[in-house]
Amino acid sequence: MRQPQQRYSGWSLAKAAWDGGSYWHRLWGATPLQDAYDVVVVGAGGHGLATAYHLARDHGIRRIAVLEKRLLGYGNVGRNTTIVRSNYLLPENHNFYEDSLRRWETLSHDLNFNVMYSPRGMVEMVDSDDGMNTLARQGNAMRLAGIDSELLDRKALARFVPEMDLERPRRFPIVGGLLQPRGGTVRHDAVAWGYARAAAALGVDIIEDCEVTDVRTAAGLATGVETSRGYVQAERIVFAVAGHTGAIGTMLGVPLPIETNLLQAMVTESVKPILNTVLVWLYDDAETYISQTDKGGLVIGGKLDGFASYNREAQWHRLAEVVEGAVAMLPQIAGLRLLRQWAGTCDMTMDGSPIMDRLGYDNVFVNGGWCYTGFKAIPASGAAFAQFVATGTAPDLIRHFGLKRFADGTLLDEAGTGPFPVEH
Amino acid sequence: MKTPRRAGLRLGDRRINFRFDGRSYQGFAGDTAASALLAAGTRLFGRSVKYRRRRGLLSAGTEEPNGLLTVDPGPFCISNLPAPCLEIQEDMQLVSQNRWPTLRFDFAALIGLGGSLWTAGFYYKTFMWPSWHFYEGIVRRLAGLGAVASDAKLEPPWVEHIDCDVLVTGAGPAGLAAALAAARSGARVVVCEREPAPGGELDFEDAVIDGHASPAWVRATIDQLKSHSVRILINTAVVGSSGKLVIAHCEPGGLAKDAIVYRIKCGALVIATGSIEQPIAFVDNDLPGVMLLQAAERYLARYGVRVGRDVVVFGCHDRLYVSARRLIRGGINVVAIVDTRPECKTVERTALEVSGVRCLTGHTVVAALGRHSVRCVRIAQLDTPDATQDIVCDSLLVSGGWTSDACAALHLATGPNQGLAVSAAEWSVAVGAANGMLELPAVISDGHQAGVDAAIRVQSSTGHKPLPVNPSSRIDVVGGDPPPRHQPFWRSPASRKEEKRQFVDLQNDVTVADLRQAFEQGFRDIEHVKRFTALGFGTEQGRTSAVVGAAILAELSGNDDKVARTSRRRPPFKPATLGLIAGHRQGLSLRPKRHTALQAWHVENGGEMEDAGLWQRPRYYHGNGADPVAASLVEAARVRESGGILDGSTLGKIEVAGAGAAAFLDRIYLTRASTISPGRSKYMLMLREDGMVLDDGIVMCLGPDHYLATVSTSHADHVLSHFEFHRDLAPVHRNVVIADLTEAWHVIAVAGPRSRDVLSQILGEFWREKLSGLAHMGFVTGRWQDQTLRVLRASFSGELAFELHCRASIAVPLFQALVNEDMLPYGTEALDVLRIEKGYLTSSELNGQTTPEDLGMESMVNLGNPCIGRALLDRPGLHRPQRPRLVGLRANGPGQSFAAGALITTTAEQNLSCGHVTSATFSPALGEWVGLALVARRHCHESTTLLARDPVRGRETTVRTVPPVHFDPSGKRMKS
Amino acid sequence: MKRVPARFQWSIEMQLQCPFCGWRQVAEFRCRGVVAEFDPDTVSGVYLRVNRTDSSIEYWQHLNGCRSWLRIWRNPSSGEVLEIQALDSLVQAVNPE
Repeated sequence: MRQPQQRYSGWSLAKAAWDGGSYWHRLWGATPLQDAYDVVVVGAGGHGLATAYHLARDHGIRRIAVLEKRLLGYGNVGRNTTIVRSNYLLPENHNFYEDSLRRWETLSHDLNFNVMYSPRGMVEMVDSDDGMNTLARQGNAMRLAGIDSELLDRKALARFVPEMDLERPRRFPIVGGLLQPRGGTVRHDAVAWGYARAAAALGVDIIEDCEVTDVRTAAGLATGVETSRGYVQAERIVFAVAGHTGAIGTMLGVPLPIETNLLQAMVTESVKPILNTVLVWLYDDAETYISQTDKGGLVIGGKLDGFASYNREAQWHRLAEVVEGAVAMLPQIAGLRLLRQWAGTCDMTMDGSPIMDRLGYDNVFVNGGWCYTGFKAIPASGAAFAQFVATGTAPDLIRHFGLKRFADGTLLDEAGTGPFPVEH
Repeated sequence: MKTPRRAGLRLGDRRINFRFDGRSYQGFAGDTAASALLAAGTRLFGRSVKYRRRRGLLSAGTEEPNGLLTVDPGPFCISNLPAPCLEIQEDMQLVSQNRWPTLRFDFAALIGLGGSLWTAGFYYKTFMWPSWHFYEGIVRRLAGLGAVASDAKLEPPWVEHIDCDVLVTGAGPAGLAAALAAARSGARVVVCEREPAPGGELDFEDAVIDGHASPAWVRATIDQLKSHSVRILINTAVVGSSGKLVIAHCEPGGLAKDAIVYRIKCGALVIATGSIEQPIAFVDNDLPGVMLLQAAERYLARYGVRVGRDVVVFGCHDRLYVSARRLIRGGINVVAIVDTRPECKTVERTALEVSGVRCLTGHTVVAALGRHSVRCVRIAQLDTPDATQDIVCDSLLVSGGWTSDACAALHLATGPNQGLAVSAAEWSVAVGAANGMLELPAVISDGHQAGVDAAIRVQSSTGHKPLPVNPSSRIDVVGGDPPPRHQPFWRSPASRKEEKRQFVDLQNDVTVADLRQAFEQGFRDIEHVKRFTALGFGTEQGRTSAVVGAAILAELSGNDDKVARTSRRRPPFKPATLGLIAGHRQGLSLRPKRHTALQAWHVENGGEMEDAGLWQRPRYYHGNGADPVAASLVEAARVRESGGILDGSTLGKIEVAGAGAAAFLDRIYLTRASTISPGRSKYMLMLREDGMVLDDGIVMCLGPDHYLATVSTSHADHVLSHFEFHRDLAPVHRNVVIADLTEAWHVIAVAGPRSRDVLSQILGEFWREKLSGLAHMGFVTGRWQDQTLRVLRASFSGELAFELHCRASIAVPLFQALVNEDMLPYGTEALDVLRIEKGYLTSSELNGQTTPEDLGMESMVNLGNPCIGRALLDRPGLHRPQRPRLVGLRANGPGQSFAAGALITTTAEQNLSCGHVTSATFSPALGEWVGLALVARRHCHESTTLLARDPVRGRETTVRTVPPVHFDPSGKRMKS
Repeated sequence: MKRVPARFQWSIEMQLQCPFCGWRQVAEFRCRGVVAEFDPDTVSGVYLRVNRTDSSIEYWQHLNGCRSWLRIWRNPSSGEVLEIQALDSLVQAVNPE
């Protein structure tokens, strides 16, 4: 028995406080698993939930289920470093992520759930003139597409990030950076919960603890999924399983251009505001990014662990390398303490750009290969992929992310590092 | 209120003066901020994060959620230090956190009045209009614990590597027993103890061990360990492990100053980190004066501090009574003992009742009352929770049992009072309280056995014979605290309204009401609840909140009898200071610097060094101009006019030799190396596996199946691995030997019209003859000053030029000799100017996104060599009209310029990029700006007019395409 | 063919047993990627991989060591290393112990 969605607002908080009892409804209900659906979405992460939401909202599809192996939002959507931006070089990429960023700006209102979008800016910093030229190319590409970007020389950077002392002697002196003012952070858990609540209110069944183990086919089409809770018939199947996309390909007999690597992230204890933007620094063969949560902890991340893994365990030497970069960027944080570390499994593709395509069968769709950039893509991915699944034709925004680009030679390799997923 | 100090195990005689929030205090050497302030009667230590409620100390260790202090002033400002771990020092200035203006009168405490509004996750339901960003500033300023000074400095720690057989973490009874047993078995043992002194609960637990009273046994054991050369590291906590290296951080006095990072390689690990006492939730259980029971015992035994005058003891196990007895012995008046179990018939209880202590069973503390701190507690019978009575007291000491604080063996769920099963690992084991054992005889024997086992295991794996373990070396224990006979009790009954003041996570202000709300909104799993409420996300890492929270959640979901599941502990096992994790790789030591033999020469002679990867190269020389651009133009012009020299030693050099070396290089390079004759070299392109150009360079044929390949500096490491991989991959290349000679050969480029004459003069007669006959791309090997010298005639500047390959020992004399002949050095900036004028390629053009055809080298492809990547060049997408093509650029207007990174567009469609400028410079040779660009093929006709748009640098220039070789297209200067 | 018996490494961070150098920290090695099941001179060989959560065969180089290339068979979910071979199949390693 579904209840209409409860409206969230400051006024509702006051009512709840006054009421004193159990005022708040469940965000998503414990609905039973039906025998058949129009669309089954595998994976209750950001992309899966957003796709289900848009399928229900924009395309009027009635019977949708999101099947989640473990817990809603427990995968990469709950493990990322919460950065959103659209500062990409290639038009196929920056147009897509910009669509997403525009949606981030209004998502809290659309979902009636505060996802805490904070446009505090995001600066990528380099330590050489060549690096600045590369940033300039990227910034110019964004500007031509109407996306905000500013190239900051050393003086401008010092003004924008006064908390970073650029005069201090550094092993790799920072010479400047590329700023996207509208880039920033979003509270990751809120995104999963917000989409889940909105989707549930539109009639989507969200079923946790339900693992999809196989796809049943007949006459060249998929007919449904085998799950740990039994067989579920489906007219269309969407796989949005970040961290397991490659394995899904194997299950369907379609090898994919993916290798799954771990990406670590960590957070320090909470302190008063010391960093008011998102900093990314590329130096030597490493990279570190750092931002401060609204609660006060510093979230720090770096490059991939470098080998295939589904086991989200820490690697201390990787942790140390990322911390080195953070301390090098902001030496004043050396006295802070690290509290927690975690990892996500990133489906790294052979060109660093995502895969949105059919997979093996005309009615099976895969939304994956997001490498470590999936979080910021959620709103655009949900909307565009829902259109793809509902109409059968990929909209222009995501047309270039099909699998045939590898055989065609029309890859979207931003960094130019080639067919080595670990390098992207 | 102050109470006179008693003797304390950790106290010395020296008095120490310090300040807290501006007031002066005095303590003793060995005092922590907590003990000294408690002794002075301080109750208020901080304010909670959300509701800004008054808070006192809960504990006597790192699990302290409330009493976080900042050490001030100035650059050495470290915050969020738990008071019980911070040793006071003379003139230390301590400041409380997260309050304004003072701790007593915090303005933001008004927030607490709206408490019901700010339940867990309230910010998801509001702050949406007009936008979150509108509210963010205030929220961020209110949140956050301590502050960090923007000029704070922390010296990098000392890093020490230790190699031992057995590492014991924890010097409590189990750890000491294990260390002793292992040492007696002949193993090399190291002990890590987080506290400033060993002993653990033996500081207050009465027992007779091997004939000694507990503290005496600890001292005797330490002496014995030292006599076995056991290293005991105090103030040292294990934070993580890195393979077989255990990482431990030593922060003397609780500060990261003068810290040491230990990287300990051990054969076996004994985890004896003990247990953490758990609190119980009741109304206003966060009031100052509510403390964990054994924390009070620790303050008494270690620091001689009585935390209260009239206390009530509250809990759910038999040890309440022995603890109460000890407190009374220490001069604290125990008014009552509230035991939630239905009955307790122990001897200790009877004795206490007889001596006048009120002992209640089947009762619970429903609330702590008091405005600023505890002044009485409200109790009730569990059967009739509404019939309450008040007991006057000034402190409430709580004990809900214990949970293990194991750190390195955590793949299993832990629940209240459940230790870990011994892990399946071959080299680590948890003992004592860390393994769920709480009775001293079992703890010590467990530790002892583990020590023996660890020593035997290590010695059998290294082949050393263990010393025989004397059967009577068992440790004899009499006494110790009785078995707890614990019956879990996590929270007192309360109405829904009262649940809002039953705290589960004190630091994050998570209450039972928050857990209930989370549950009601559909968050059932502990993972969801943690994220929604922030349970366990504080500096105590869930030590005093995770288990209580999980148990309460289990109760709410009706799963009382199922084991409450907490989530897996991960490193860091104790909050680890960032500066210590980074270790010595901080500041200028972040990465090593690679220098050529000419480094000192460059610096002495005005070279401005810049990073090229980890290498340092001279960018320009100061004498030639005030800034890089001006200097580079002077240096470049001089090269074309007369000549110059460049230190090119960072160039990658890979020697490839052995049977099949030629065939191997044929596979690697786009064109065949096997066609190069000995004594000659060729410019070659290397493809990546997907057909994109990986690198370019010159390959020299030193003889049959003997080559030296040069690789660009930035790709040297990568290409070496690439060579080695493909050699190892195919059995046919098995006999090919690959040697990295990058650092073996120094390279000096001598370029310009005078180059041949000067070289002939310096190098001598033998060389004069050879050089005059040396054709372009040929090389000669000989000697100079009795060292091997190889001279290759090749040019990256477009002038007549030679590359001198020599060993480090003659690099400086050779360079100097050239300088003496007026061949002056130029830097990498000038090199760039020269090569752009000639249309030569660097990583700006070889950016990993270009094919040979894009770069105008399709003739190389058409030779048909089946090298790596060749097959993938035939993909249709690589031949579309949108693919880039290398072109030269000139500005249309006089004096106009453009820069690398500008985008190329047509004048018709100015928002659609069809390429980008890869390199650009002012050309002294031509007197105008020149550049190279990659532009879509369909726009690459001769002299097409295009726009170079550079909005981020505020520039837009009309340009036209020209052939990429701007200067001397026929190359006759080079080939003269 | 030099096969090195695997040893189950239960620990937070991996160690790998180089056939030539013995057990070394994983930080000394670098992984190039998963071994392709198709001809490396084709699009499939260069781009496509068969991903399995219980088994992964990869190319690793002992970069900060002997620089040998190795083929390592691992379980990427448990972290267990199942087998390590030197890529150059005829090379005989000296006993690493």
